[in-house]
Amino acid sequence: MKLIYEKSVKGRVGYSLPKDNFDGMQLEQYIPDYALSKEKKKLPEVSEVDVVRHFTALTKMNYGVDTGFYPLGSCTMKYNPKINERLAALDRFVYAHPLSDEQYVQGSLEIMYELEELLKEITGMDRFTLSPAAGAQGELTGTLIMRKYFETLGKPRHKMIIPDSAHGTNPASSAMAGFKVVEVKSNENGTVDIEHLRTLMDEDTAGMMLTNPNTAGLFDDNIVGIAEIIHEKEGLLYYDGANLNALLGIVRPSDAGFDVVQLNLHKTFSTPHGTGGPGVGAVGVKKHLKAFLPGPLICKKNSKFAFEYPAKSIGRVRAFYGNFSALVKAYAWILSIGKEHMREVAEMSVINANYVMAKLKSYYRPAYNRFCMHECVLTGRDYKSYGIKTLDIAKRLMDYGFHPPTIYFPHFEPYAEETIMIEPTESESKETLDEFIEAMIKISEEAKTNPETLKEAPHSTSVRRGDEAKATLEPVLKYTNDENK
Amino acid sequence: MRYITNTKEQKEEMLKEIGVSTFEGIIKCIPDKVRVRGELNISLALSESELFEKINGISKKNIDFLSMKTLIGAGSYKHYVPEVVRTVVSYPEFYTAYTPYQPELSQGTLQNMFEVQTHLARLTEMDVVIPSMYDGASSTAEAVLMAMRLTHKNKIIISSLVHPHYLETIRTYTEPHGLEISEVQFDNMLTDISEVEKVIDDKTAAVVIQSPNFLGGVEDVKKYSEIAHSKGALLIQVVVESMSLGVLKSAGECGADIVAGEAQSFGMNLNFGGPYNGYIGTRQGFIRQLPGRIAGETIDKDGKRAFVMTMRAREQDIRREKATSNICSNHSLNLFAINTYLSLLGPNGLYEVASLNTKGAHYLRANLIKTEKFKGSNYPFFNEFILKTSVDIEAMEDKLVKNEFLPPLRVCKFMPTLEHHLLFSVTEVLSKKDLDRVVEIVAG
Amino acid sequence: MEYKVIEGLYYTKGDEWMKVEGDTGTVGITDYAQDKLGDVVYVEEATVGKKVKKDEVALTVESVKAASDINAPVSGKVTEINKGAVSDSKILNKDPYGAGWLFKIKIENPDELKELMDAKAYSAYRKE
Repeated sequence: MKLIYEKSVKGRVGYSLPKDNFDGMQLEQYIPDYALSKEKKKLPEVSEVDVVRHFTALTKMNYGVDTGFYPLGSCTMKYNPKINERLAALDRFVYAHPLSDEQYVQGSLEIMYELEELLKEITGMDRFTLSPAAGAQGELTGTLIMRKYFETLGKPRHKMIIPDSAHGTNPASSAMAGFKVVEVKSNENGTVDIEHLRTLMDEDTAGMMLTNPNTAGLFDDNIVGIAEIIHEKEGLLYYDGANLNALLGIVRPSDAGFDVVQLNLHKTFSTPHGTGGPGVGAVGVKKHLKAFLPGPLICKKNSKFAFEYPAKSIGRVRAFYGNFSALVKAYAWILSIGKEHMREVAEMSVINANYVMAKLKSYYRPAYNRFCMHECVLTGRDYKSYGIKTLDIAKRLMDYGFHPPTIYFPHFEPYAEETIMIEPTESESKETLDEFIEAMIKISEEAKTNPETLKEAPHSTSVRRGDEAKATLEPVLKYTNDENK
Repeated sequence: MRYITNTKEQKEEMLKEIGVSTFEGIIKCIPDKVRVRGELNISLALSESELFEKINGISKKNIDFLSMKTLIGAGSYKHYVPEVVRTVVSYPEFYTAYTPYQPELSQGTLQNMFEVQTHLARLTEMDVVIPSMYDGASSTAEAVLMAMRLTHKNKIIISSLVHPHYLETIRTYTEPHGLEISEVQFDNMLTDISEVEKVIDDKTAAVVIQSPNFLGGVEDVKKYSEIAHSKGALLIQVVVESMSLGVLKSAGECGADIVAGEAQSFGMNLNFGGPYNGYIGTRQGFIRQLPGRIAGETIDKDGKRAFVMTMRAREQDIRREKATSNICSNHSLNLFAINTYLSLLGPNGLYEVASLNTKGAHYLRANLIKTEKFKGSNYPFFNEFILKTSVDIEAMEDKLVKNEFLPPLRVCKFMPTLEHHLLFSVTEVLSKKDLDRVVEIVAG
Repeated sequence: MEYKVIEGLYYTKGDEWMKVEGDTGTVGITDYAQDKLGDVVYVEEATVGKKVKKDEVALTVESVKAASDINAPVSGKVTEINKGAVSDSKILNKDPYGAGWLFKIKIENPDELKELMDAKAYSAYRKE
């Protein structure tokens, strides 16, 4: 499919502007020579119809949750309610300038305040910042808070414990916050090796980042012991809330001993993933860490909403206040689910994942032979003898009309190898799961009887197995064919 | 509940297949001690119509922003967003999709990224641009960290006319890394270049200049590049109002090594501050140190052109603590807004919009000064300018709001020494008539 | 899966091989390592003269989906790097024991060689 540049025709117009009534005014009078550009940069010249058709054509090469089953483990690809899109698009939200006086934006401030109240209740934490733009930025915020906490006590700590199963953002965020990463091993049950943890925790360790359920979809039932080990040396326990969908209404991170929590509103709370963002990485803390949150936070004084700035804040992590439109959507989702259905969300997500595992475990050996939470980790390792990699299984699934699950993550040998991580979410129907299961079973047979079909897959998509090595060795990162050399 | 698809009966069937009689059988390993007692204390579920009523009601507590003409910018600019942008950004195959980990099902996403990479590379005249980070502030912070990695130095010189939110974000991001920050003051609304020359030495990693700066001033970026390079430092240009790229010389042309910018002006509404879209670009030799996702062109098994994510070994899922950044999710959906906006405008439209911005701003300033209630020395600016006033600012603001104009920024909110100073922003949505009306209101 | 292992070389748990001639070791990655990495797309240019302790990172190698730290099998000083591998990273996949060598090291302490595996031990270690 042609690039928009390849559809450009000189002189074509796609815009309309009010007439320039500023007679006699020339740019040269106002912009000095050192800054005034002598030429216009070469952008495509296309009509409005060209643009609409271009993007409509691009949609035909994309697959979303609205298209079908999207079982990416760890991503929580649940349904994005349409009413939430409408509410975020209300004019008085969309056109609100962030630097307007507080009196003019009481509605926007109320949304943020009330969302925080709900997140506090769901997690048990005492105060939230809604400003981080993604889970990873939430992790950075949380680890910077931990850093400042110890610094303020006059006893800076330099290490952070992270499980070997952790998502890559955990060590990356810790390193950005200035910590040395210390890895704790997982045991044969797929959870933290608590004895190893005991040997690692000391007074130079700020604490531990833990995802629970972890990246293998398993609830770490040693959570109480883990919290004790960390707190015994006066460390802080950080909760990576990427997998909170499994625990809504069942466990509150606060009760499990966590001091800092980061939530992914674009996962658990249904705000759209948008091809990779924007998200929100809301960060909640217990009382003793409130002072370090990035400002501004929202407070209520005499039934008026206002900004307030924590006394020992780590400082801003972005301009303005947060990804506001996503906050509206998360708020709307919680109000729609309500008290009666919150636990149902978690239950259904856990049942859906276990159902898939139960039906497929004899075809794709699970990484761990135990019940999972909202996602299950199967493996394709038994097909290696047929020359088949998990990648081939994933590509073949596309021919059956499904987006593949997450592959090769988590990855920690010897259990989590050639992994296929499936997270249906509570949005998925049993019939779709049955269709998916049937397809996976068919593929397992094809792997044995006709492996070439898998190795050559996908057969039905617009492009097939792009050469990623070539893309890295000879990077082509922009279009240049129409430029005069 | 309409978002939870399976019925009670189906749930029972599935529990049977799983091999448990109740749900509790699956989660029995979760210790009692950490379980929620009873139910969460949140309100009962709202039906869709009740939800609409409630949230629409909350929105009404905001002033009627749609009817307001905006005189305030300072990092968030009210430009007209063509309706096609809303159409495209609302396509479900875009907004309900995920990161393009499976390129065969994401050519829409990847081609869009590639096109925006091209637009931004041309507008900034940088060799490579990462099209979507989070916002301009965090992109700038990442640019500083990148410069530190490239030069192995830990000192930067930064203009005090970089947006205060951006400055604060840089401090937050660099605090753990022992960065020495020299903040240089300004003179007549432009960075004091002589101070930069005094402070810079061979331990400086980068000089950070925003143009147009926080007070709207257009800096001589080329001069700063020369100074930086003469001492072995890099030049980072920050672009907060990307519309300026329609008429001003690019970062690349001015010798910048890294550009960190905010693309909100290209098709994104104000949205009370977010989500916008930060970008970061650089020269060929530095691309391995760039943070963030990038799409690359390649060929597939059949020799067809295909797009994939590339240069992944820089990223957190592969490099973990050694990654160039921890960034994973970005602001990808806004790339569709940017692509639609710039494609509709094209080179001429962009120039015309930027032109209208420049003329409108200068027209307003000249007429405000004519009232003799506003004073300010001349300095080069794009679509934002600062003036000192003798009027009762609170009364002026009330009058403006009553006449459906959102007032300019009181600069003392960010720079306490500049009392009675106002920062006006003028974009193409304000007609000559509107501007005449503003002058009438504030002077009258 | 049979991975090529060459007699007469020393091997590490991190899948590096080393050929010792006098007090100089030539270091590269094994056939197993190149297969696990996939197509190598980048070989970092190590610094000649760099002093490394045993098991410290000498340079990094990247593929499309992974990054691998290449550790020094023994303590010493990097005396030469294979510029051919830096400019054509694919050579690590094509000829990991030959033209795909990465760097030469002046061996500081010959006693450390005792801690390395021989071809037989490495084959057993990586038996699939």
